[in-house]
Amino acid sequence: MSPVAVTTIKTIVEKIDDVGAGAKRFVLADPDHWELPPHRPGAHIDLHLPGGLVRTYSLCNDPADDKSYVIAVKREDAGRGGSVFLHDRIKTGDTIGVTLPRGGLRLDEHASRLVFVAGGIGVTPFLSMAAFLKRTGRSSFKLHVMARGQPPLADLLVPMLKTGHVFIHDTATTGRPDLASLVGDHMPDIGLACCGPQGMIADFERATKDWPEVRVHVERFVAPPLPVDPDAKPYTLALSRSGREIHVRAGQSMLSALQEGGIDIPASCCGGICGSCKVGWLEGRPVHRDRVLSPAERERSLMVCVAGSANDRLVLDL
Amino acid sequence: MLDTVDAKISPNKAVIPMWTGLVRYLHLTPRAFLPMRSMPELRLIEGKGIVGDRYMIGREEGFYSHRPEEGRQVTLFELETLIALKRDANVELGPEEHRRNVTVEGVPLNHLVGRRFWLGETLLEATRLSIPCRHIEEITGKAIFDPLINRSGLNCKILKDGIVRVGDAVRNA
Repeated sequence: MSPVAVTTIKTIVEKIDDVGAGAKRFVLADPDHWELPPHRPGAHIDLHLPGGLVRTYSLCNDPADDKSYVIAVKREDAGRGGSVFLHDRIKTGDTIGVTLPRGGLRLDEHASRLVFVAGGIGVTPFLSMAAFLKRTGRSSFKLHVMARGQPPLADLLVPMLKTGHVFIHDTATTGRPDLASLVGDHMPDIGLACCGPQGMIADFERATKDWPEVRVHVERFVAPPLPVDPDAKPYTLALSRSGREIHVRAGQSMLSALQEGGIDIPASCCGGICGSCKVGWLEGRPVHRDRVLSPAERERSLMVCVAGSANDRLVLDL
Repeated sequence: MLDTVDAKISPNKAVIPMWTGLVRYLHLTPRAFLPMRSMPELRLIEGKGIVGDRYMIGREEGFYSHRPEEGRQVTLFELETLIALKRDANVELGPEEHRRNVTVEGVPLNHLVGRRFWLGETLLEATRLSIPCRHIEEITGKAIFDPLINRSGLNCKILKDGIVRVGDAVRNA
């Protein structure tokens, strides 16, 4: 008998290679090369690393490749430890549990021309998207990659330089190009997407503030800070399955209160964007602050990393 | 609770409809979350499960393997339910998506709890009706939990082992 519930997909690290700009590429596969659960272009997975580290990475392979999940990870010495662990400790043949792929670039299907803006390692979701678009005959897209010096994953980008799909902007020599002129004015058949560091996303959002929301997608790796709520009040979480009650202090996150109570909730971004910590709710009035659940999903689920409660008691399906 | 029914062999006086069915699809997967793969045949081992499947006793790599159950050696699902899901809930669900091993046609699974029947050359005993789970919604991304209530298939243990092939007959023992 298996002593604990299986909560992740078991994968083996098949290959690791350096892909430039301080990044490594990891190819993950089933131990028997069975098909893996499908992913949409630009989707991401969580890696459950030893020691309880959970980190989210975009998949960069074509969704038609159903035998592997390919991620690229830039080493961030000043980060939260996930990238350093992957770079220094993970070896070919190691086992890593991963979650089902989530999300993906949701672009309006009526957009016949697509413009992608990527900063550094933020290029990863667009590589999956580019492979998908080329394979399905929607070849009218441009991928602008901003990088200091050589961009990561040049082996995948260079072939698309030649076909006119990729434009590399070396910010070390030319600075970051003006994003407003790069994306141009709103045109009814153009869809836009951006992934990169926070400053670049802020510029992109300014440049596209007059565009319809359905035509603009932003993929974030770092959660935006939650605004401090001066009116925050404490409340109680009633856990329907265990019968326990957990008290949440004013301003404390639901996730933090649950973890203090010894309840293990998988969480990654802690900012309401990655979708890892989704929990069902049964009674009460949750305050949703995530950027991932649809209105229909919010009728029965919340993201405990950012959600709050509008009254003093909220019943969770835990 | 459907999952706690203590099934006993039904008395002979129970009213059982006349039926003979067919094996239409066969599927297995070696581990939780992975897609089910269509197979031309499955090898069933008495008292254990299906060779290569995640719930084979001794393998234990299924989503529910931490909750052992004798009747999870092989699971069945009605082809008619796939048609009903489209009709009633406008959900297209393929035989590889319901995550049961055997899709049968013309077999009244709800009548078989506690009874023995032949699946090709293998003899099964049905232990309980399957119940839907949110896990399947997570995997398929389709809202099928509610539409599958009361028609989510049948859990069985294997009394006589053998090979089951697509096209085999299913009949009362």
